[in-house]
Amino acid sequence: MLLATLAAICLAAPGAAGQAGPDAAVAEVRQTLDTARKEVDVYNARNRAGTPDHPAIKWDAALWAYRDRFPRTQASAMATAGAVRLLILAELWDRAHARIESVGFDDAAWERLPALIYEEGIARKDLPYAIDRLTRAAASAKTPANKAVALLVAGRAYRRQGDLPAATRTLEAAKAAAPGSPYAEEADGIIYEIDHLSIGMVPPPIVATARDGRTIDLARLRGTPVVLVFWGTT
Amino acid sequence: MEEVPLLKALHEKYRNDLVILGISVDVSLERLDRVVKEQKMTWPILADGKEFDGPIPTAYHIQGTPELFVLDREGRILARLGSAKTLEARVKDALAGPR
Repeated sequence: MLLATLAAICLAAPGAAGQAGPDAAVAEVRQTLDTARKEVDVYNARNRAGTPDHPAIKWDAALWAYRDRFPRTQASAMATAGAVRLLILAELWDRAHARIESVGFDDAAWERLPALIYEEGIARKDLPYAIDRLTRAAASAKTPANKAVALLVAGRAYRRQGDLPAATRTLEAAKAAAPGSPYAEEADGIIYEIDHLSIGMVPPPIVATARDGRTIDLARLRGTPVVLVFWGTT
Repeated sequence: MEEVPLLKALHEKYRNDLVILGISVDVSLERLDRVVKEQKMTWPILADGKEFDGPIPTAYHIQGTPELFVLDREGRILARLGSAKTLEARVKDALAGPR
């Protein structure tokens, strides 16, 4: 009981995050990220992105400082990815790239950076860049999870580009990198979609009785276009 | 639910040339039947009360709703949409396809 009370006091103490443990550090980073994100969104709504006085620059520096304050922690990984994300939102591509390049491949942030590289590839309409960067990250990855996530995201990018054979090959590699991980599971799901639910394919059969008693067999509806609506009342 | 008015309009407009098939992920079939009746949705609705774990949502890899598939006259996937925003244009594409 006394210990719990002491813990509560430590957690509540301002500025004590460094000593109070990982949860407090994560909470502090999250709060900074929230504030930064709001400011960047407000600025972006009123100004052109990519400007040299963009508030993302200030927040990037503030977030990067957490890397020294909480080295090799979840909080550091969050701050790193958050800073890169703000630079991407600000369309400060060179700064974002410099930050990404400076993160060592043994850094836990590499589990989060692939998604941002993909996001940037979409924003800049340059998926080949994203694929190249992700492939290099996968080749240098220091942990199975980091390798799997880079390959998983590269597979997504190939799919979005319409290169389904490359997508399947890359997603299989993601599965092999970290079998049984959530990334392998996600890769499996995308491979299933490529094999069964791609444009131009006949989708899985539907044979069922509707709520009003009508018998439905999708295969018998050939000749008429069909809209399948997956929905819910809530 | 946002897509329902548009679906009704399409169902009315292309009555003889288009099949709309609803697959509900509702858990309460009672509630589903009531809403379908209230909203006067007259196209067939499939539901098994198993949310996303039923055989059809599983086979179609559905993780959220709405999710729409437009199938051409050959029964092939012409488009997959996360909202009904561009549905009518894709339905027109399907209707313009070879008979």
